[in-house]
Amino acid sequence: MNRFSSTPRRRLLDALWPWLCAASVALSLLMLAALLALLVVRGLGHFWPATLEEITLRSGAIVAGQPTREAPLPQAEGFERLYFTANRDIDGVSWRWVNLDDIVSRSTPSDLIRLERNPWGDFIGRLAGVETGGQLLREDQAWRYLTQALALPQAERPDAELLLVTTDGQTLRQSLSGVSQALAPNAMSWWQKMHTWSRNVWQFLSQGPRAANTGGGVWPAIFGTVLMVILMSVIVTPFGVLAAIYLNEIAHQNRLTRLVRIGVRNLAGVPSIVYGVFGLGVFVYGIGGTLDSWFFSDTLPSPTFGTGGLLWASLTLALLTLPVVIVATEEGLARIPDAQREGAVALGATRLEMLVRIVLPMAIPAMLTGVILAVARAAGEVAPLMLVGVAKLAPQMPVDGEFPYLHLERKFMHLGYHLFDTAFHGEDVQAAMPLVYATALLLVLIVLVLNLTAIFLRHYFRRQRGSEC
Amino acid sequence: MLASLDSATASQAPVTHFSSEHSALSINQFNLAYAGKSALRDLTLSIPRHRVTAFIGPSGCGKSTLLRAINRLHDLNESVAHSGNIQLEGQDIYAPQMNVTELRRRVGMVFQSPNPFPMSIYENVAFGLRLQHRLPKRQRDDIIEWALTSAALWDEVKDRLHRSAWQLSGGQQQRLVIARTLAVQPDVLLLDEPASALDPISTLKIEELIRNLKSQLTLVLVTHNMQQAARVSDYTAFLHTGELVEYGPTDQVFTNPRLQRTENYITGRMT
Amino acid sequence: MTPPRAAVSRQPLRQLKNRIATGLITAGGIGVLLAILAIGVFLVWETLPLLAWDQTFAFSKLSPLAWGTLKAALAAMLFALPIALGAAMYSALFMSARLRSRVKPTLEMMEAIPGVVVGFIAGLVLAPWVERHLASTLALLIWLPISAGLAGVLWHMAASRWRQWLPLSWAGLWLLPWLVCMVLLALWFAPLLENFLLGGDLRRLLEQHWGMDYATRNALIVGIAMGFAVIPSIYALAEDALADVPTSLMEGAQALGASRWQALWKVALPAAGPGIFSAVMIGAGRAVGETMIVLMASGNMALLSVSPFEGMRSMAAAIAIELPEASPGGLTYHHLILAALVLFIFTFLVNTLAEVVRSRMRRRYHKAGRHS
Repeated sequence: MNRFSSTPRRRLLDALWPWLCAASVALSLLMLAALLALLVVRGLGHFWPATLEEITLRSGAIVAGQPTREAPLPQAEGFERLYFTANRDIDGVSWRWVNLDDIVSRSTPSDLIRLERNPWGDFIGRLAGVETGGQLLREDQAWRYLTQALALPQAERPDAELLLVTTDGQTLRQSLSGVSQALAPNAMSWWQKMHTWSRNVWQFLSQGPRAANTGGGVWPAIFGTVLMVILMSVIVTPFGVLAAIYLNEIAHQNRLTRLVRIGVRNLAGVPSIVYGVFGLGVFVYGIGGTLDSWFFSDTLPSPTFGTGGLLWASLTLALLTLPVVIVATEEGLARIPDAQREGAVALGATRLEMLVRIVLPMAIPAMLTGVILAVARAAGEVAPLMLVGVAKLAPQMPVDGEFPYLHLERKFMHLGYHLFDTAFHGEDVQAAMPLVYATALLLVLIVLVLNLTAIFLRHYFRRQRGSEC
Repeated sequence: MLASLDSATASQAPVTHFSSEHSALSINQFNLAYAGKSALRDLTLSIPRHRVTAFIGPSGCGKSTLLRAINRLHDLNESVAHSGNIQLEGQDIYAPQMNVTELRRRVGMVFQSPNPFPMSIYENVAFGLRLQHRLPKRQRDDIIEWALTSAALWDEVKDRLHRSAWQLSGGQQQRLVIARTLAVQPDVLLLDEPASALDPISTLKIEELIRNLKSQLTLVLVTHNMQQAARVSDYTAFLHTGELVEYGPTDQVFTNPRLQRTENYITGRMT
Repeated sequence: MTPPRAAVSRQPLRQLKNRIATGLITAGGIGVLLAILAIGVFLVWETLPLLAWDQTFAFSKLSPLAWGTLKAALAAMLFALPIALGAAMYSALFMSARLRSRVKPTLEMMEAIPGVVVGFIAGLVLAPWVERHLASTLALLIWLPISAGLAGVLWHMAASRWRQWLPLSWAGLWLLPWLVCMVLLALWFAPLLENFLLGGDLRRLLEQHWGMDYATRNALIVGIAMGFAVIPSIYALAEDALADVPTSLMEGAQALGASRWQALWKVALPAAGPGIFSAVMIGAGRAVGETMIVLMASGNMALLSVSPFEGMRSMAAAIAIELPEASPGGLTYHHLILAALVLFIFTFLVNTLAEVVRSRMRRRYHKAGRHS
């Protein structure tokens, strides 16, 4: 403090506050980077075939598993480590905290294998042999047989029994039909791991969830999200554009128009859950209930349209994103110089001709930007969907081979809700966490890519127009 | 048309009259108010056919407003009210049975800064045509060539008709806008300071074009460039604060103005 | 040269088409605007039946929710405001143009991160971590601003060669590694300090001395998570407002001998005041209505407590959880719709206020620009 003794407080303030402000920027960037890094590392790391450890404890017990994380002991000095030990059918649990002080030795034997099974989840241990057609294969032969069999499509796999041994010596017979993947991660080269990693990512994107959302993928959720968003854009684009044209080109520009414009802008700030309430009350109970009593009275009281579904969700989100489209389109329309409109009108064009031939083509980039922003917002929105039609596990996809192919009344899965549900209502949250990270990463990626597209589009068209003028 | 230096008669500015067969436009006691503020007051004048008439005056005097009133461009703005009438070939253009789009076809307008549409040169000229008629391509091409030739632009653009019009220079763009207007074959062409945004050479080209075009149609030119008015126009009207101060043959207005106000303006003592 | 003659006029049809289309657009536009208006009408209509019921019951049911909403929003604003406004001031007044053109879109991108993702990180990653490292967290919250000031002091003491290497205009970027080091330092030092000063666990101390319960998911977590979510919207609007203040104003003030700090307080902030105010309002509106983050990071207990270490249940979260189960027409249903109405009216008013203030300011600038 002595350095600033002349006019101490003011000099100090004057010197320091820019640094506090600069640190705010740095801190915001840091938080963003940390969030994204966490998602990327945990989300993508899960698919990497992790090394399996075999540890000998002081008590003499031998445990095999995948080390997950470490934490200080709750009431004492030292640390403990969490192992994913799988084998829920044998041990009753699949996670185990081990005090670091209890570990006598650690090793990574290359013959440890990890099987993905249904039911009972993963198995970690050793393959003692394979029994097939009365023949018993052992050692390398057995492993080779197993990998070849698993490379075949599910239907063509031979009948076989695997003889498995856990590290603490318990044996187990497992039929081949329940196994979906077998890995010996400790014996894999980097290249093989890479291969397995990309296959796992692909499975995550292309398969349905398994084992109470702790395994498998999120394909139905991706499909549901995309379908809902497409339906929503189909609804929101024409109406949003229509309203924007009306506000900007046709309505008398007076106090009322200004009020309406402010109102529309502000609706973008109304919480999404309020739209959800509106959707539930008007679309689901109001319109849906009426539709049911007119056309589907034979199935009542079990509702057809009178419950949440794809159509109502799309409509609700369309209403939610309407302000986004209107505002973006209006901005685009307002940027078109009046000289263009007057030029067209002075040549004898009617208002419709002026709009269709001059104004709208010039406003297309703005509309596109608006729709993309709307889609980005809708893709990440979960709260209203909880009220109007999302399901934990939809038994049927909303599109199938059955007439009328697109089932607007069905419930559907949604990435964001899937994430919420798995993370907060799952049976084994610990086991599902990696997949939750992966889902979160996927969702963030989709939304960010959409937003970036909108930014680049806007930037590109603005620059293009600027250079040509 | 004798000059009177009496300032008492200045407010009752004499009007040049043309018999109806010589007059393309006649404006009678025309008033216009913009959001309650009077912009044009009691204008009466008639504009001769196949001549260039220039409106001059300090900025804000209402000359552009008058031009836009002739094209009924104020229709797009609700806060504009008017009284009196403007007759195009004897028809009141503000009459309810008047077809506005047809009026605007017959009265072309060129604006201060060039405003070509964001499309090709060809499409710019074809724009008005496509609105009016469904023509075979051959015939349309002929009209476009004729319009571009009339606007003295054909030789410069005939090899790049399908390039974007925004790649042309400012002067070329302005001539393209004139060609676009000519293509729908108007009777009257209104030019609102058509050269104010252009360099001197482009300005000369536009002026030459204006002189050449008067054999085909009636031209009304708004300018704040006195030399330009003197160079290209046959008649000159001097407007000030929404009123017509003096109107007569250009030679007379510039060399021997009747009123002191006009002389002050022309000699640059009043801006 | 005579013009080639054209024939076949399309006049009458064009006028008709124009009239029909204009009518359709008008009808469609008004229809869409009415549909938007219908939200408000619906909410009011569905709340009306409540008038027939006992009012005190509704009040007792809604007041913990209203308190929870306010508490969550308050916590978020406490966390977000200093950071967002500081960042806005820095990037509007000091940051180099090149860095600004990168940083601003990046921070605005933050806004796009879905609430469900932020809520998940907050509820399942941040909350357990903070529970284990409560002392470290609090130490971080205090230490980070101090360390930023420390960076400033060091910079002023450093040789001028260093200062040119690390200019203030790029500080937003090169302070990153500094902050990371400071975070690590705090994490390493805080447990030692906790042991030394408090003799062990801060949480136990809180419980024994002040009788404060600690819930894993609490207002602190919600504040940080929702603060993170509203920083970008406050930042973007406040930054716009500050960047709109003509630089000549600030320079003029400094030419008259004002320090940068005085120039900011006396000139920039008053000029950008309305813009900053509306930024804060819009941030508050967002914090009040955010559903998923509160739902996932707050524990959802309807409590009336002021402790930052206890959870809450907000109106938005209550709607999301209870409304799907409430039977339409029942008392709960109407109560929840009343909650939605309150949210709607509150956010709408706050946003309108912000918008009006902002457009006033814009008009004033336009005028100033014309006169200058």
